[in-house]
Amino acid sequence: MKIITPNLLKFAGTSFVLTAIFRFCLSYGLENKILLLSVTSAVLYGITMFSAGWFFGKRDWMYLPIYDVGFRFHLATYLTHNAVSELWFILGFNSRYEIIDPIHITAVIWGILLFIHFLFFLWTRKNTINHLDKDDLFE
Amino acid sequence: MKKEKKLQELLDSWEETYKKGQLTLWIFLALQEDRKYVDEIKDFVVTKSGGAITCEEQSLYRALRKYEQIDVLDFELRKGNKGPDRKYYFLTDLGQELFSLFVKRNIKLFYSDEIKNLLNL
Repeated sequence: MKIITPNLLKFAGTSFVLTAIFRFCLSYGLENKILLLSVTSAVLYGITMFSAGWFFGKRDWMYLPIYDVGFRFHLATYLTHNAVSELWFILGFNSRYEIIDPIHITAVIWGILLFIHFLFFLWTRKNTINHLDKDDLFE
Repeated sequence: MKKEKKLQELLDSWEETYKKGQLTLWIFLALQEDRKYVDEIKDFVVTKSGGAITCEEQSLYRALRKYEQIDVLDFELRKGNKGPDRKYYFLTDLGQELFSLFVKRNIKLFYSDEIKNLLNL
């Protein structure tokens, strides 16, 4: 039974790289007081992450229609974003104007929302067999 | 002429509906014969159905991945003529059981004398 699909891994890799680029631009912008760079990178990060999710999600559905109401991709986003952000501070790449607290607060609030998404995912599982929609098993 | 055209249109419409859901049966039939890789399954389906059932390679791969996911199908790797190893698919015990029950409940009924008479066979 497959849950970790090639497209999910590609999305996680993309998310990792995009988050690292975003953190770099954010820290560089703050350090050098280029507000436009910080704001633009945040907006572009949101757009590119959404596009990557859309692109790989669609391909993943064509590959194997796992019925998870988007939970696997959400979890991958949560893990990569927070892992890169934590590492950014641990490795000391952050700007001197950045503090780690917002990273932790975001992780907690987002974690609660992710947990609600997980409950929703569990609830939809009753209509599936091995994570595939019962109504869409046979061709 | 008008009647023939209408008849053809009605037949096409009915067949289009009828063929939906047929691919699984034909894949299972192909694998009842022997273990097969994708091209062989595709050839079997097209040939044995007299061209009535056709399938795109992508649809076939997707269907096979789904059946593998629900444990009715598995594969073994065998050396191909050239390139990477080929996946030879086969029905698992669960798949065999599912196929038998499906045939018993949905196909065998067409072989009763009463239905055969009605079908003019």
